[in-house]
Amino acid sequence: MNLHDVPMVLFTVVTQMSVGTFIALGVIQLLARHRDLTTTERVISPVLYAVGPALVFGLAVSMLHMNDVTHVFNVIRHWDSSWLSREILFGVAFGAFGFGFALLEWFGAGSRALRQTIAIVTAVLGIGLVWSQAMVYYSLVTVPAWHTWAVPVQFFTTTVLLGVLAVGGAMMVTAQVRAKRAAADLADPSEAPSDVAAPPEQPAGSGGGLAVLVRSRIREINAPSTGAEWTLTARVLKGIAVVGSVAAITILVVYPLYLGQLGQGDAAAQTSAAVFSGTMFWLRLVLTGLTAVLLGFFVYRMAESTMPTRSRLLADLVLLCLLLAVVGELLGRALHYSAMTRVGM
Amino acid sequence: MPTQKSHETPAVGLTESDADYGFFFDQSQCTGCKACQVACIDKHDLPLGVMWRRVAEYSGGSWSQSGNTVMPNVFTYYTSMACNHCEDPICMKVCPTTAMSQRPDGTVYVENDKCVGCRYCEWACPYSAPQFNAETGHMTKCDLCFDYRSEGLEPACVAACPSRALDWGPIDELRAEHGDEDGIAPLPDPSITKPHLVIEPHRDAQQWDHATGHIANPEEI
Repeated sequence: MNLHDVPMVLFTVVTQMSVGTFIALGVIQLLARHRDLTTTERVISPVLYAVGPALVFGLAVSMLHMNDVTHVFNVIRHWDSSWLSREILFGVAFGAFGFGFALLEWFGAGSRALRQTIAIVTAVLGIGLVWSQAMVYYSLVTVPAWHTWAVPVQFFTTTVLLGVLAVGGAMMVTAQVRAKRAAADLADPSEAPSDVAAPPEQPAGSGGGLAVLVRSRIREINAPSTGAEWTLTARVLKGIAVVGSVAAITILVVYPLYLGQLGQGDAAAQTSAAVFSGTMFWLRLVLTGLTAVLLGFFVYRMAESTMPTRSRLLADLVLLCLLLAVVGELLGRALHYSAMTRVGM
Repeated sequence: MPTQKSHETPAVGLTESDADYGFFFDQSQCTGCKACQVACIDKHDLPLGVMWRRVAEYSGGSWSQSGNTVMPNVFTYYTSMACNHCEDPICMKVCPTTAMSQRPDGTVYVENDKCVGCRYCEWACPYSAPQFNAETGHMTKCDLCFDYRSEGLEPACVAACPSRALDWGPIDELRAEHGDEDGIAPLPDPSITKPHLVIEPHRDAQQWDHATGHIANPEEI
């Protein structure tokens, strides 16, 4: 693995995780829309606020592979021909719309219809971002390892796998925070808010109106889960387990097809195929396989039977899956870059 | 003076619009001495490792047996390669900044004040024409010695070749004179970028799609 590939490995994997997370949240909201809105929003909105920092981080590291940052605004000039320009435009637009949406959600501003419209636009921009990222590589006809259907498939499976797992992970962490809060409230009922929406008491030395608003919102988010919320969390987790394991299995199935294709190609293609061997490749396969098994069997089963008060093990398991999947995808992406061999001289 | 052809070209008309300049390479004459490569580095004062023109050694071979006699059949030939100022320059297509541009005479060059040094063109070009200069943080490449041509001089590599294996000119004229071969291994499928290049092949030259050899000096190019 080459050190100069690291910014691109991080950039593509992290942005794809952000896109996947945002879309997974949208799908969950859509599927749960017939339930009561407060429950749905309480389960998924904390996750939304984790997407932003991830994307900002991703875009920031992408700057590292430009060697003259002073010319950075030139990179959108060739939008009508270069997929690299399009990738940057989609990335910035996805970030801007996603940030706007998160702000509206946080402060409960804007009408429901407005927020939904912005969410849909953001999701479409996200899909555009992953698609243009894939085309940056696919469009290089001179690199057989990249000019293949496998690249868009791999980029979208990364998006789905890491997206649903990030949602699952953030949801379980929130559930843990809320369970702790519930335990604390049980121990000292005087601290417990009588109503989640009750106006917070103003502590001494607090900032202005905005600080109060933010604090009260955090308090609201961290308020103990209701039974209905836990039921929804468990159901969502089962869905995540199914979708995640299917994505992981798809990743494993794509490799033999992809490598078979490269093996039948020209000299450059065969040089690329040789990259997919050795410890790093096997580690990638094992980690992804383990993710599929843990998700498909253990997380799914446990989500069915676990009580909210004893969800710690389930939370740890989901976070373990997220960790395995992230490391697996980072290794897979590093291999993608190492496989770069061009035709010609 | 004797009537030597393009080496005595008059001072005007070496940067004419729509001329679509390109290179002619006589592979049968090339001895792999790299004078062209050195002349290019010297003329453009390129830093160590940046080579707008490179000479690849392509080798291969097999053997056959008849009775108790084993007959070797091996080959090696050289390919001197710079930018081919292609008809469909893939470097220009993929460049996100439009820094990779084309002059009216058809030659491709880098607009320095636009380039961000992302090296995407380096990934794309199958002739390794765009080369990264770490000192400036920008991409650089052969512009067919635009400054020399503006003064009526020939490109440095062409002038330096002791075997007269290199020539240049409007691609139509080169093709009329030397044919239209441009797909000799280790060069890629010419239909990808349609290079403005004509090759007089070495006697052992192999077509790009029937290549059996390998580049013997990868660390030098």
